Amino acid sequence: MSWRSAFLLQARSDNNIRQQLNVAKVEYCHQLHYLQMVTEKLAKALVTPENATQPPAFSHAMFVSGLKAMKGRPDIRRLLGYDSFEQFRAAINSLLPLADKIERLAPALANGPNPEYPWQTNLNSPVVAPVEFSFADFDLRKPQMAKLLQIIDRLLVVLT
Amino acid sequence: MTQQNGIHAARLQEIERQARLLAQENRLAEPEITRIFWFPSEDEVRLVELDATVPPSGDGRIHPYFFRPSPQDGLPAPSGIALIRPDEHRRVELPESWGDWENAVEIEAQP
Repeated sequence: MSWRSAFLLQARSDNNIRQQLNVAKVEYCHQLHYLQMVTEKLAKALVTPENATQPPAFSHAMFVSGLKAMKGRPDIRRLLGYDSFEQFRAAINSLLPLADKIERLAPALANGPNPEYPWQTNLNSPVVAPVEFSFADFDLRKPQMAKLLQIIDRLLVVLT
Repeated sequence: MTQQNGIHAARLQEIERQARLLAQENRLAEPEITRIFWFPSEDEVRLVELDATVPPSGDGRIHPYFFRPSPQDGLPAPSGIALIRPDEHRRVELPESWGDWENAVEIEAQP
């Protein structure tokens, strides 16, 4: 199996677990943790050529650039079911700020709220555990979040 | 020109056609792209696009996103597309097989 295929396979599996956690209604931090991992592995698959003999360089911050790179792809646009070029561009553009926030959930990039480790914003503020935090920016009832999840689900099906 | 050279030239010409097609699509998709550079190769389409809104590379290297061929979209060759900031132009390291910045051919925007 190529490195690219392996990252895609693992991203699909992570996404399955994310969906199961959602159905099981476990604390939202765990669902977000898996979502962040899905986006990271999806992006890593994209930066790995099929014939790569080594895994891609380590980075948490590749998802937003990956989405931007997809915007100009007629094949991805078609595979995601967008007939209109403008509609696809608008859809991706509208998701970039949220994608950026998800990318920054990785503890290495987060200076506060993240789905894995407790944090303290400053010395006078309380220590917060992710399980008790609402993560309102990522509320699943928000249309942008639903749209992003749909696109991620679809990308994991169509990308090879 | 030998037959072999002719085949290579035809292959490169076809890759260039795809590079120009993708460059045009990408300019339409992202108005923030200011310049696009093509790195000629017979194996795949290789583009580096300058866009001030992308995050800095971080490690001083270019990390292209790779896409499989899609003949039905006029893209029979695989492609690698990288987005970098304008101030990283000629300063960040290219993938090993892409050669160096001297190989770059700028694809101008079509009027």
